[in-house]
Amino acid sequence: MSKMKKAIILFVTSVILNSCEPDDICLTTIPDTPKLIVVFFDATNGLKKEVINLKIKGTNSNEAFLFRTTDSISLPLKNIEKTTSYSFIKEAEENMDNSGNKDHVLINYKYKHIYISRACGYKSNYNINQIVIENDNTNWIINSEIIESSVIDENTIHVKIFH
Amino acid sequence: MLKYFISILVITISLNLSSQENDLLDTIPIKTTYGVKLGIDLSKQIRMLTESNYRGLVITGDYRVFDKLFLAAEFGSEEKKITNEILDFNTQGSFLKLGVNYNVYKNRKGLENEIYVGFRYGIGNFSHKLNSYKIYDLDHYWNQNLANNATDFKNLSASWVEFVLGFNAEVLKNIYMGLSLRLNRLLNQETPRNFSNLYIPGFNKVLEENSLGVGISYSIFYEIPIYKKTKNK
Repeated sequence: MSKMKKAIILFVTSVILNSCEPDDICLTTIPDTPKLIVVFFDATNGLKKEVINLKIKGTNSNEAFLFRTTDSISLPLKNIEKTTSYSFIKEAEENMDNSGNKDHVLINYKYKHIYISRACGYKSNYNINQIVIENDNTNWIINSEIIESSVIDENTIHVKIFH
Repeated sequence: MLKYFISILVITISLNLSSQENDLLDTIPIKTTYGVKLGIDLSKQIRMLTESNYRGLVITGDYRVFDKLFLAAEFGSEEKKITNEILDFNTQGSFLKLGVNYNVYKNRKGLENEIYVGFRYGIGNFSHKLNSYKIYDLDHYWNQNLANNATDFKNLSASWVEFVLGFNAEVLKNIYMGLSLRLNRLLNQETPRNFSNLYIPGFNKVLEENSLGVGISYSIFYEIPIYKKTKNK
């Protein structure tokens, strides 16, 4: 009979343990929606080149996304729209709205929502169709090139911008 | 809720086990009833009262084949809507479970109670409707993190086994009350494209980490006696 009691205790314990729900937490080790990796290159020699005081601001957004001197950025794309547009402002001053040289950059893409898990939900993957640099006669960006059109992680350069 | 059921079950079992040891062998032959028990799993109705967005109906029954062995069957349908910060979806479907119960309880003369161990093989057909979901994006610059395009996932199926531990007590003549606890293991499932079976009617909540699940039943049965047989020692 003590054997059976042991078996019952084991059974009940395993039921209780199993009721604790370990998969209700989205672990930070799980990658989220990837950003678009953009790297700046010198148009004449093809080497990486920093953009001085680069300010990036989303179109129709009130706050700047980034302000720093850098040769690479990672840009978030909209998850339920097929176009995201940003102003890339070179030699900007942080708190002045109309400072620097402003270029409009449009990113056209297809998005797909990929299921991750109960706790994390879905993430977006993108397929870049086109990068448009709007012509304003004083463009500092000379050219752009899509290196990797499918944005599924942040491990590779997706877009090169020459200036 | 589950905790209460577990403690009731444990107390009942331990009481019965200790009282049983005092029982001496009886020399008078005992007549015992063989029949069909039909019932309803009231735990679903209790769940409908305590849990919003849940509907379920389960019919259950067993047939005594041998002195200690019962064939058992359950069928029913369930509907559940799950809404949390991440996902909002409905699941509905029906299921059938077949298996056996083995009575490990030695009744005193004239009593027909059962403490049983058993198993079930379960199959279910179900569908999900995903109403909205969260997009996991740690960047909140655009704040487009909720998708509202409803998607249907139809004609899905799964099969599983359940290890059952429970008791049935005759509370009135031919009326039984029973409680059981189940540990389920998913054998096979048809996973929907770009979604997951997070809830399977009959199986209950599905964990993505492992294939185990839990269940409970609280049933009222009516026994239709078919014949009586002398119990062999």
